[in-house]
Amino acid sequence: MIRIAAVGDVHVDKDVVGRYRPALEELPDRADALLVAGDLTRHGTVEEARCFAEEFGGLSVPVVVVLGNHDHQSDLQDDVTSVLTDTGITVLECSATVLEINGHRLGIAGAKGFGGGFAGACASNFGEREMKDFVGHTEEIAGRLGEALRSVEADALVALTHYAPIPETLAGEPLEIYAFLGCYQLGQAIDTAPTSLALHGHAHHGSERGRTPGGVPVRNVAHPVIKQAYNVYQLLSESVDADLVSV
Amino acid sequence: MTSQIDLEAEIQRLLTEHDRIAEQGITVHRRENAVVLGGEVESAQRRDEICRQITARYPEIEITCDIGITRAQAPSEVEEIS
Repeated sequence: MIRIAAVGDVHVDKDVVGRYRPALEELPDRADALLVAGDLTRHGTVEEARCFAEEFGGLSVPVVVVLGNHDHQSDLQDDVTSVLTDTGITVLECSATVLEINGHRLGIAGAKGFGGGFAGACASNFGEREMKDFVGHTEEIAGRLGEALRSVEADALVALTHYAPIPETLAGEPLEIYAFLGCYQLGQAIDTAPTSLALHGHAHHGSERGRTPGGVPVRNVAHPVIKQAYNVYQLLSESVDADLVSV
Repeated sequence: MTSQIDLEAEIQRLLTEHDRIAEQGITVHRRENAVVLGGEVESAQRRDEICRQITARYPEIEITCDIGITRAQAPSEVEEIS
């Protein structure tokens, strides 16, 4: 059995330091790893990254994150990544890692993702250079996420993105902005591998649960959606047990 | 003159692009003479800053703030994925 804690869109800055810590200190009793689905900061500054590292680092469980669009706002994503990795946090961008947990191999492949939309209302790689750049970025990230997922040999495989891979977990958001919240190509990439669970954030007014066309469970763990410090998901269960977490 | 729909769009962009706010998850709806703000943010300071900045930019508009602070307690349940 593996238990994964997950949250996204925590947008840490000075005013948030200390808010999550009491719940995070309980993590070793509740989960084997913590995954954060992007938008770690407000503006993607080095100072905010240090605040995130202070709040979410130094835990006794591994912490694996992807960046979100907010973490790119200051064009300092490489510096933000360095601050996080220096404090022991694993940052994935079209890459994967494997954690050894309870005798099992937990594979995690992650990417920020991008927009583009979903069946019936998606952007095409056509027309102006700006439009082709937009959709080209979507296609490149999704393709590389698929490669990262397929590169992992694991007992359980998790896809971690900021943008959404399916429209079902966007329900509650205005339809008009779905194309800025995710893209179907991420769902396609997730379905090319034996993915156990896909986690994303970004859609603050979205819904929690859905599945890819290939049947992979998808969870929107944006903080305003789950309304607690993190959710806990159990994989590789020996028996069905959805009771309260024993602490 | 700014129309009602344009006003909502301008406030939405202010909330996202202002360097002291950077919030994309706030809803903005016009109700007769007031603008109603919804959604959740990570701290009371951020909620108060949103109202302060909108009032500074549009002093003639009454702001009704229904923005909440997202709770950050530990969970009590686990979901089994199958």
